[in-house]
Amino acid sequence: MDKAEILKKLNDIFINTLDNADIVLKMETTAADIEEWDSLRHIMLVVEIEKTMKTKFTSKEITKFKNVGDIVNSIEAKK
Amino acid sequence: MLFNSVEFPIFLLVVLFTYWLIPKKWFQWQNALILGASYFFYGWWNWQFLALIFFSSATDFIVANKLGKTTKDKTRTLLIWTSLVVNLGILVYFKYSNFFIESFVDLMQTVGLNFNFASLNIILPVGISFYTFQTLSYTIDVYRGDMEPSKNPINFFAYVSFFPQLVAGPIERASDLVPQFEKARKFNTELGADGLRQIIWGLFKKVLIADNLAPIVEKVFDGYETMPPIILFIGVTLFSIQIYCDFSGYSDIAIGTARLFGFELNQNFRFPFFSKNVTEFWRRWHISLSNWLRDYLFIPLSIQFRSLGIKGIILAMMLTFILCGLWHGARWTFIVFGFWQGVILTYEFLSAKKRGKIKKRMNKNLYNAISLILTFVFWKTSMILFRADNLHHAWAYFSSLISFDLFQFSMKDILAVMDPLDLLKFLIFIPFMLLMEILQREKLHGLEITNYKWYTKLILYSIIAISILLFTPIESADFIYFQF
Repeated sequence: MDKAEILKKLNDIFINTLDNADIVLKMETTAADIEEWDSLRHIMLVVEIEKTMKTKFTSKEITKFKNVGDIVNSIEAKK
Repeated sequence: MLFNSVEFPIFLLVVLFTYWLIPKKWFQWQNALILGASYFFYGWWNWQFLALIFFSSATDFIVANKLGKTTKDKTRTLLIWTSLVVNLGILVYFKYSNFFIESFVDLMQTVGLNFNFASLNIILPVGISFYTFQTLSYTIDVYRGDMEPSKNPINFFAYVSFFPQLVAGPIERASDLVPQFEKARKFNTELGADGLRQIIWGLFKKVLIADNLAPIVEKVFDGYETMPPIILFIGVTLFSIQIYCDFSGYSDIAIGTARLFGFELNQNFRFPFFSKNVTEFWRRWHISLSNWLRDYLFIPLSIQFRSLGIKGIILAMMLTFILCGLWHGARWTFIVFGFWQGVILTYEFLSAKKRGKIKKRMNKNLYNAISLILTFVFWKTSMILFRADNLHHAWAYFSSLISFDLFQFSMKDILAVMDPLDLLKFLIFIPFMLLMEILQREKLHGLEITNYKWYTKLILYSIIAISILLFTPIESADFIYFQF
């Protein structure tokens, strides 16, 4: 799975979890760009991503995520 | 030394004047002056407190530097635990020892065992909850690799003890404030002038509103048993306004004072009474504490509990808010206050989608107005826990308030707790404060009026100056948050 495919899957997860059909993710998108993406929903997103992508992040990785690109890179590195 | 004391302006002027006399290329000497002045400021309360802040700063300075030099996981874990145990140990010993002992004795009594423990004779050092959290954030950030350790002890010690925000925040992150100590500050007239305006606005809220409200709130809370429900309603409403003016007033003075020295601190209140739900309220109220708890408690806990799904998030949220309550003081009322916040935030978290649908169907302005009122009513109700002496007092106050007689309004009852002049002052100053804050809601503080016409500014300054001169109570009160 390449970065573009991962990004597309993440986009679907974000739309469903944050209940906002207008979300269009880019690698550089951060929590500041999406109103619904707060600290509570961030953890929900992590849970959904781990479940859908069948992967497991470490605590350190999760706290280091600064934008969508970091999540994509982390998933790609595990595949 | 209190911001609203006679000594403080003299102290501030001497330090400020000396500070800007030092050429900016010798900014390290300016830092040394800030450090000396801050220790003097803190020692004014009690010289013994200085040993504690020195010990806490020294531990974290050494721990962080050692963390910067080692990559061994075992050593790093040992080092971060040293910082946690020392800082939290100081906090727990000084703030919570008696509470734990008394709660244990009470618990034993309920199962029929009698212990005779005398309470320990411990003085609570002012501001301890603020600076221990501040210095803890530094070692945690260095441990996580989010910042480099500070190499210069004067800069670091000055950061921990920086007198404008030492005793009641904002709780500044090392990554925001330490870099400001590491470079020269320029005297900026605009920044300084706005700093002064922010100090004036803070004083207005503190001495004119909070200090004038304090004796009336005290009268209502102490004599609640004989008061009609409408007075209890007014009493807790006034307390909500008092605590906001007291604490946000302190923050404004702190941020404004720091600006006079060329430092920028973080905004600590973003006009919370205009929040449309409690989640938003906590993002606008005591922001530096909410952010600290989010980054160092809620996020790590929710990551740990994430295998439990939604339940894990709720558990993390409840624990965070119970500890948030306990941070405010060693009393069961604060624990229940935190728990109650957690319950409402959980409700808001779970009902977000449903509420979103209702919002779409309703008139937007009506929905916002109802949300605003409900949020304020909720906050106000939880303020009973904040102000009451114990759970029994809080419950008795609350149950006396909930009555059909609540709607029986009588001027005589109001004038029994405040004289007509007090009433007039509140009817002018509180709406004035709220109006200014509504107008300025996108700005950093209520008096950031750089874009106003000169005569509007003159009128506003005159109103505030004359009011402060005429209506400042003779006895100035401590800031409420100092006890935390």
